[in-house]
Amino acid sequence: MLIGQEESVGSKGAFLIRHAGIGPAVALLLSCAAPAGAQSVEDLRDLSLEELANVSISSVSKSSEALADAPAAIFVITHDDIQRSGATSLPEMLRLAPNLYVAQSSSNTYTITARGLSGNPGLVNFTNKLLVLIDGRSVYSPFYSGVFWDMQDVLPDDIERIEVVSGPGATLWGANAFSGVINITTRRSGETQGLLVGGDAGARARSGELRYGGRLGGNLTARIYLRGLSEDETLNASGASAHDDWWRLQGGFRLDWTPGELDAVTVQGDVMNGRIDAATGGDTLTRNRNLLARWTHSQKDGSAYELQAYYDRSAREITQNGGRLWIDTYDLYLQHNNMVGTKGDLVWGGGVRAYRFNTVGNDSIYFLPPKRTLMLADVFAQYGWAFAPGAKLTLGVKLEKDPYVGTSVLPNARLAWKPADALLLWASIARAVRSPTPFDRDVVEAVNQKPLLIGGAAFRNEKLTAFEAGTRIQASSAASFSLSAYYNLYDDLKALEITPITTVPFYWANALKGHSYGLEAWGDISLARWWKLRAGLSLLHERFAFKPGATRFLGANQVGNDPSRQATLGSSFNIGRTISIDANVRYVGPLPDPVVHSYCELGGKIGWRVNDHVQLSISGTNLLHKWHQELPGDVASQAPRTILAGLKWRI
Amino acid sequence: MAHIRVCVGLLALLATTASAPAVAQPIEYAIKASYLYKFAPFVQWPPTAFASPTAPLTICIVGPDPFGKMLDDAVRGQRVNGHPIEIRRIEAVHPGIACNILFAGSEAGNEMLRAMAHEPVLTVTDRSHGGTGGMIQFVTIGGRVRFAVNQAAAEQGGLAISSKLLGLAVSVTR
Repeated sequence: MLIGQEESVGSKGAFLIRHAGIGPAVALLLSCAAPAGAQSVEDLRDLSLEELANVSISSVSKSSEALADAPAAIFVITHDDIQRSGATSLPEMLRLAPNLYVAQSSSNTYTITARGLSGNPGLVNFTNKLLVLIDGRSVYSPFYSGVFWDMQDVLPDDIERIEVVSGPGATLWGANAFSGVINITTRRSGETQGLLVGGDAGARARSGELRYGGRLGGNLTARIYLRGLSEDETLNASGASAHDDWWRLQGGFRLDWTPGELDAVTVQGDVMNGRIDAATGGDTLTRNRNLLARWTHSQKDGSAYELQAYYDRSAREITQNGGRLWIDTYDLYLQHNNMVGTKGDLVWGGGVRAYRFNTVGNDSIYFLPPKRTLMLADVFAQYGWAFAPGAKLTLGVKLEKDPYVGTSVLPNARLAWKPADALLLWASIARAVRSPTPFDRDVVEAVNQKPLLIGGAAFRNEKLTAFEAGTRIQASSAASFSLSAYYNLYDDLKALEITPITTVPFYWANALKGHSYGLEAWGDISLARWWKLRAGLSLLHERFAFKPGATRFLGANQVGNDPSRQATLGSSFNIGRTISIDANVRYVGPLPDPVVHSYCELGGKIGWRVNDHVQLSISGTNLLHKWHQELPGDVASQAPRTILAGLKWRI
Repeated sequence: MAHIRVCVGLLALLATTASAPAVAQPIEYAIKASYLYKFAPFVQWPPTAFASPTAPLTICIVGPDPFGKMLDDAVRGQRVNGHPIEIRRIEAVHPGIACNILFAGSEAGNEMLRAMAHEPVLTVTDRSHGGTGGMIQFVTIGGRVRFAVNQAAAEQGGLAISSKLLGLAVSVTR
């Protein structure tokens, strides 16, 4: 009973935050990168003009090109990877990252996490420890720290790259950068000029898009777009319809202006509406409006300021029983990077965020107080010191003031060493927290007018101390390899506790602690100019235990029901210049409790470039099984096989 | 993933410049050298510009040469629409000179380029060294080497520049 109700909170309730690095969030890590020897024009040979235009010539400007060599477990999904994969939604694209765990629970909902702690929806605990940014805008919901994936969309052709960092990034990005950071960056409007008409359609899903980019002045470019999708219902574990068919329509724009050689201004915004069917209780309506402006000012010495402001309104509403919630977020952020002497570089910044949430509860779930304005503020500084040839030590700290628990201190020390051009070794110690949200503190779930579950008045930060080490090896110009290992110490993890004697109401408390360790490895090799293979592996061991005094009402498995092993294998194959064939196989190990069997699945795409303007494709996801279960059957329906025929027309 | 391969080298270089900022930054010229030949597929020369489909595409450097061997390394083995690439270093320019792309790196180059206004030669200059007379001008923005395009000048020389290249330009003068 509890389970069913809570599930509806997770999927229909909620919203909140934490900061928000600007720009390529991951880019900040670059300033930690090790110094080393020189290199040559041969390395630039394979770059396209766009890529060439993105190569940084000064380390303090934090080139996103070179991020892949930053001393952290970063995997980069490129524009090409996305185009070739056939994925049409963000969650499906994220399956390309070997350092993420992605599991589909209905036609429109996913569990996505890094390094475990994915939660256990059957035991009322939802995935809530990942920071996700789209062009610098934080999209995890400040209401419960999880992401409503059904509200996040980007036109696939607009995406420049998706950077996936596994491991904490709290020193740079703040409180929700706990298990990982996903940073989605779109292309400048100057790179998406002309008209694009595209669509993919199959028996159970269809999507279409329209985009136009133009130049409004000598140094002002713009694009506008419209994109829609609809998907049919999935089947639940017993084979009956899950009544989760849905649609979403989104439009938006982006303006890029370079008023001078040292300044760049971007203004962008989106409008989204969606509707998701439900078996009972009425459909869910989703809405998002956002507007963002960013100004980057560089100086001739290579230092730079970045100032960003955005507004975001996210709303969800259940049509029949009256549950509604909406959140307005106002965010302002400033960052500065510069050189200090000849061996140091300094990045510092700060931001404030205000979010006003407003809820209309119903008989079974409401919030006390129902509306509230919460303020969040942070300052951070990070200093990198190249203390010896090829070696760099980076120390950073963020102070973050949260409305519920006051100030948190989030430090990080990172060491990078390049003993040779082709070899990077790195290690890091960091502290991260997930701070309380309205869903942890203010929620009331009731049965027959009596509270059954309430927020914990004393609920505080969930805490992580993370030890990491890794290496990145460029074996040759055709092969590269990355390996990272981690040991995480957790404390004050969220658990459901019971009130002594009366049992109810249940409440949230910080009753669990534990540790985990694991390994992530990936690599790629070009066997020929027309054939490339990639592989990835992720191993995880987790152990959680109750703290003294805990009531142990539910099991320690409420923290996460995570697979202990995952593997991916991908192949990209070209026939001449016009045909591309891609296949991606993934294996996900069994989930321990409740048990879900391991599975192996295949996705891919065959693309045919008919001419410079027209491209045809056939793509598929989950090709090996018509239906398969990725999460426990009591909380998730089955993931479907989907086959799409696609057309892309450019002028 | 192609990025990742490339990046190892790039990063090494970035970091080097970080620890010795006063020293010239070779990556900057490596990028400019790469641009010089990578522009070519996006430019349409009049048919008379090439004697045959396999005639070399000639990149000329007039005046001080900031690239040195780097440019020769960059173009070695490269072809543009079937044309091999040839590098020429010259002291002065004149109408009718056998160049398809002409890089004038110094401020003095502006004067020379004036004489080339109606020639089917893609002229490239470097604004950070005062070179403002080219059809394409390198500029450094936010620590990245970008370029501006003077489309009017290109049309005067009978060159058509593709919309893709114009799209990547930080500014376009029509």
